[in-house]
Amino acid sequence: MKKSKITKLLAAMILIMAILNMAGCGAKTTEKSTGSTGSQSGSLVIRLEGGDWGLPSPFAHYSRGPGASKMRLIYDSLLEKGEDGLIPWLAKEWTISSDGREYTFLLNSKVKWHDGKMLTAQDVKFSFEYFAKHPPVSNSLLIDGKPFIEKIEVIDEDRVKIAVKEPNATVLDRVGIVRIIPEHIWKDIDDPKKVMDLDKLVGCGPYILTDYSQEQGKYRFQAFKDYWGRKPGVDVIEFIPVSDPVLAFENGEIDVLDVPPDLIDRYRNNKEFKILKSPAFWGYKLLFNMEKKPELADINVRKAIAHAVNVDELIEKVARGAAVPASPGYLPIDHIWYNPDVTRYDFDIEKAKELLNNKSLNLVLLISDSQQEARIAELLKINFAKAGINIDVRSVDMKTRDSCVKNCDYELAIIGHGGWGADADCLREVYAATAACDAGPTSNVICGYSNPDINRLCKEQLAELDEQKRKSMIMELQKLISDEIPILPIYNTIDYTVFKPEKYDGWVHVFDHHAVTHNKLSYLEQDK
Amino acid sequence: MRHQKALKYFATFFCIITLNFFLPRIMPGDPFYFLSSEQGEVAVTYSQEEIDRFKAYYGLDKSMLAQYGSYLKGIIKGDLGYSIYFGSDVKTIIKNRIPWSVSLVLLSVIIGGGVGTLLGCLSAWYRGNASDKFLYSIMVVISEIPAFLIGIFFLFYLAARQGIFPLSGGAKPFADYASWIDVLLDIARHGFLPTLTLSVVQMSGFYLIARNSMITIMSKDYIITAKAKGLGTRRILFRHALSNAALPIATQAFYSLGQAVGGTLLVENVFKYPGLGSLMRQAVMVRDYPLIQGIFLTVTLFVIIMNAAVDILYKRLDPRIT
Repeated sequence: MKKSKITKLLAAMILIMAILNMAGCGAKTTEKSTGSTGSQSGSLVIRLEGGDWGLPSPFAHYSRGPGASKMRLIYDSLLEKGEDGLIPWLAKEWTISSDGREYTFLLNSKVKWHDGKMLTAQDVKFSFEYFAKHPPVSNSLLIDGKPFIEKIEVIDEDRVKIAVKEPNATVLDRVGIVRIIPEHIWKDIDDPKKVMDLDKLVGCGPYILTDYSQEQGKYRFQAFKDYWGRKPGVDVIEFIPVSDPVLAFENGEIDVLDVPPDLIDRYRNNKEFKILKSPAFWGYKLLFNMEKKPELADINVRKAIAHAVNVDELIEKVARGAAVPASPGYLPIDHIWYNPDVTRYDFDIEKAKELLNNKSLNLVLLISDSQQEARIAELLKINFAKAGINIDVRSVDMKTRDSCVKNCDYELAIIGHGGWGADADCLREVYAATAACDAGPTSNVICGYSNPDINRLCKEQLAELDEQKRKSMIMELQKLISDEIPILPIYNTIDYTVFKPEKYDGWVHVFDHHAVTHNKLSYLEQDK
Repeated sequence: MRHQKALKYFATFFCIITLNFFLPRIMPGDPFYFLSSEQGEVAVTYSQEEIDRFKAYYGLDKSMLAQYGSYLKGIIKGDLGYSIYFGSDVKTIIKNRIPWSVSLVLLSVIIGGGVGTLLGCLSAWYRGNASDKFLYSIMVVISEIPAFLIGIFFLFYLAARQGIFPLSGGAKPFADYASWIDVLLDIARHGFLPTLTLSVVQMSGFYLIARNSMITIMSKDYIITAKAKGLGTRRILFRHALSNAALPIATQAFYSLGQAVGGTLLVENVFKYPGLGSLMRQAVMVRDYPLIQGIFLTVTLFVIIMNAAVDILYKRLDPRIT
């Protein structure tokens, strides 16, 4: 009697839970009916590692990770990042006035929004003005935190003129990547952050978002059949949750894998797979706080530390070979403006001791709780000790470490971040910023350091519109920085991407980014 | 008496929500500052002006006390605020995740509790035998292994090696279901390994408690009498002994409900299961104050309710307790 009651109760509970779950399923999946939804046979569906990175609207994707790249599949910009530099996109041509203050863009005609309406020059003007009022998550319309656009004018139906406050070498780069959004959707929306409706995500890019689930971290993008530009090479892109990427790739659940260095041999010399090596645009650097530790203001001490770092060992043991030594001049080896002739610091303990005059030094090294950083720190500690530099490693969580670095509350610190392939103006943000005007990895003030020559060159390159002249300034700047080493770049990591070319072979790297799956060009047919 | 109890629960609740508010804010770091990123990732950067603007938007520019005031006011109104990182309503985010986690917790406590208690009883009955010793040592080992390690073992063995179960997620992405039964089966298949993991962990706890209290009961006179009367093993074990040993087991059941919430946190991360645990990890990592508060509040409420249930149940099970 009693037992059957319990069994009934159990059965009822399981049923209730299943129903609860289904209710959850129903609530969490927002689907958009676009008529063209549903995978037809014969269409190419690519599956990639998903995870929740936010609704891909310019205002709602998350600030970390690949949220922005998903948003860019939906929205196009005036220019696009190509394999060697900026390439024409919505704007087929542009001119810059001789004083460097006016940029005129000629738009492609016949560009359609996903809802069938035509894109107009007014939409472009509206986008810039709307972003000024309602900043998107990823906002390129600020230099040092201040807006630089003075005025935007619609000249005729195909041309837009943008006037800037001061001539600046990075304007094209910044204006070019601004997403163009439709005026007819956004004009009456006052709080774009709260827009969570898939139907509002109308862009003019090659893909339409048809499904997104926050809890499950899945996205489904369908190619836009009236896309104005290059033909989409993939019909459907699906991002799905993955617990272990290697297992998922092996099981055929995902089509692209960032393969851990130790497993590369498994896919090498195998016709079925193709391996792409990424440019090294993610890296670790060692920060010196010269305000808190005046000893570090002595250039010989910094050089001694640089000589005590065995980069090759770190690359072999921590990065498992998938990295290249960072340049003491900051811009990494794969950067389009990398200077190979900067001053280098070989691993040389005797030299380090000599530079320190055989004195010893006690420092605290602040790191986050990542395994990689802990390994780097432990290996540094061993070699540093041989040179007479005793370090005490302190590990805290990432946000805590970042906040300590921001507040100059550290002696030595290791941080790792991406974006090393960005425009060379990042040198100014890293080495010559006078106040922390930005919360980015490339723009924190070096505590207690300022060098008039570096500052001057940084400022001059920003105003130089002649590309060749600017490039030679950047070369000089890297040399100067490598002599001074106010920050010690350690190494830049390489990603190896594996995929089966038989299924899809369109993956490319653009000039400033390390991930093939993050750029739009990878999903479009190549320009002939 | 009853008022006093209610007051006690209220005070506990109040202390906890206050801690909920202040603890995340005492942690260094803020939600808008991204100096570094995880390997291979790029984070968006904000200018100081933008950060100030965001802070004003989310009301983080006001004094701590004023924020605390509006937080309390929100709770009374049932408004948990707006997530900074996820950009949506905290209540909705949590509501969509709860069914996943709650089913994991409840199912694993029921299954783990049932199996663990049963094995505990048997072990106590055959105390000293080889089978008892074997079971006992295995359960002690399991109870000391962290849940996520057991999860990883299952993930590698049953999902990756044997391919019996899916590797991750709560349901098959973009599946076309033919009927509700397919949906159910799919959810069950995805939930199986996380549930199994948590059940195994729960089982060891229940086993140890059940075995202990049964051993105590077994030496009581009325059990000897029952044996002398020639009653069957099953009847003695489950009728006479277990009902008297039920008190600590029931306590364990409710205690494990609270504990299982902690366990799911890690196990969900192993299986990328779309519950509260994986959400909490993210929320803490990005210092999403409103969301951290919301999740803690939910968990707190759950644990307090469970405690209250234990109190009530106790009185039922043992009339001596007032």
